Amino acid sequence: MVLYVTAKTKEGNVFYQDQRIYMPIPQQFGIGDKMGRGPYEKSGILRDTSLPPMRTVTEKFYIPVYKESTKDGKMSRDIITNDFTVDVELWYMPYGKKDDEGNSQMWQKVTKTLSIEKGGK
Amino acid sequence: MKLLKPLVIVLLVLVPVALFGAQGDGMQKAKTIDELAKMYDSSTCKDCHADVHAEWEKSLHARSIFGPAEVGRTAATIKTTIENGLKDWPSSGVKKPQDVGVRHLMICAKCHLPQLIEAEDSVAQEIVKNLYDFKEPGDQAAHNLQKLNIGCLVCHQRNAIIHKWKFGSPDKGAVYGSKDGEHASPDFAKMKKSPYMKESILCGQCHGQGPNFDLEEPTQCATLYGSYNFAYRADGGTETCQDCHMKKSKLGHNMQSYRAMGQLAVDMKVDAIAYQWRDVVTTTPAAYVQIDLTNKAGHAIPDG
Repeated sequence: MVLYVTAKTKEGNVFYQDQRIYMPIPQQFGIGDKMGRGPYEKSGILRDTSLPPMRTVTEKFYIPVYKESTKDGKMSRDIITNDFTVDVELWYMPYGKKDDEGNSQMWQKVTKTLSIEKGGK
Repeated sequence: MKLLKPLVIVLLVLVPVALFGAQGDGMQKAKTIDELAKMYDSSTCKDCHADVHAEWEKSLHARSIFGPAEVGRTAATIKTTIENGLKDWPSSGVKKPQDVGVRHLMICAKCHLPQLIEAEDSVAQEIVKNLYDFKEPGDQAAHNLQKLNIGCLVCHQRNAIIHKWKFGSPDKGAVYGSKDGEHASPDFAKMKKSPYMKESILCGQCHGQGPNFDLEEPTQCATLYGSYNFAYRADGGTETCQDCHMKKSKLGHNMQSYRAMGQLAVDMKVDAIAYQWRDVVTTTPAAYVQIDLTNKAGHAIPDG
C-alpha cells in the first residue's frame, strides 16, 4: 500500500512528490537481510510498516513552494506559485505497480487547494 | 526365509495403505481434476441454498487456485513458485514442470486447495499443465483451473473440525453449520454443529500466522490470523472475521478482502495549510500536510 503526496501548480506542473510505503517486509527463507518475494520464499518478517489494527498512523509532509538560488553569494527563495493543489492518494498495489489493471486500486483520494498570499512584507 | 518373503510383501502393501488410509479416510484418491472437483462438488447445495451459492460464486474462494477472474493472479503465482522456487531448489526433486507432484503443490494448496491431498500426482500434473497453458481469462485452462476451489464442503465439512482428538474427524456424510439436525440432501443427510463455524479460527486455518512450519518447505502467504490474534485481540478487539467479512459487509458468503473492502477499512483524514516563514532577509513559502490513516480492520493492512 502506498501513500502518494503530489503538489501541482494550477497549470498541472508537479513541483513536489513524496510517498510512504505500508507493508510487512518478509524475510527471504527466514535468514539474512534480504526481502523474500513470493510466498515460496517468504518466511518471517524483517520489518513491518503496515497499518496496525485499531490505530491511527500520522504522516507529516513539508512542501517547499520555492526554488532556491544563490546570486553574488546571497541566497534567495523564489516562490513557484501562489495557488496550487496537493493531491493525497492511498493506493493498494499488491504487486508493487500502480499501472496494474485488475490488481492495483486507489482506495482514497483527497485534493486540497492552497494559496500563498501575494504582497506584504 | 520362504515365509519371510511373502510377509515382507504383505507388509509393504499394508503399511502404506494403513498410513494413507488414515489420512484420506479410506477413500480412493482422485486421478483427474474432474474427479477431485466431483469429490468436492457443491452444485447440489445450490438447489436449496441458491442465494448463498450465488454469493460464493462471486468470491475468491470460488477460484482459489486461479485468483481474480479478470487476471488469474493466483495461477500466475503458483507457476512462478514452480519456475523460481521448485525448479531452482536442489533438493525439491523438480527439474521440470512435469516433475511436480501433489507434495510440491501442497506448499500452495495447503490453503488454496487443501483437498489436493486427496488426489494422486496425476491431478497435480493436470493442474500444472493448465497453469502453463493459461494465456488469458476465459480460455480452457482458466476454465479447468476454476473447477477446483474452496467450495461449500471445504469449510462446511473438511475443515469444519479443527481439534480432531477432541471433536472427532469430520463426518463425510454430514455438512457442518451452526446446529444439529436432519439435512434434506441425499448425499449429506445430517447437519452437524461445528463449534468453530462462527469463530475466527475457522478462517485462521488458511488466513495464517506466518511461516507454515508443518510443510516440508515452509511458505508464507497470508499472515492475517497472526495479526488478528497478536495485535487486534491483544489490543482489546472483540469482533470475528465473520462479523466484518460476512455480516457488517453484508456480503455473506461473497467474502472479500482488500480489493472490495480496503476503502471501507482505512479512513484517511487530510489537513493542509500554506504559509510563509520569514527570517531576517528571506521569505520561505511552504505548505504543511498532515495525514491521519486509521485502520478500522481487525488485522494489519496489508498483510503477507
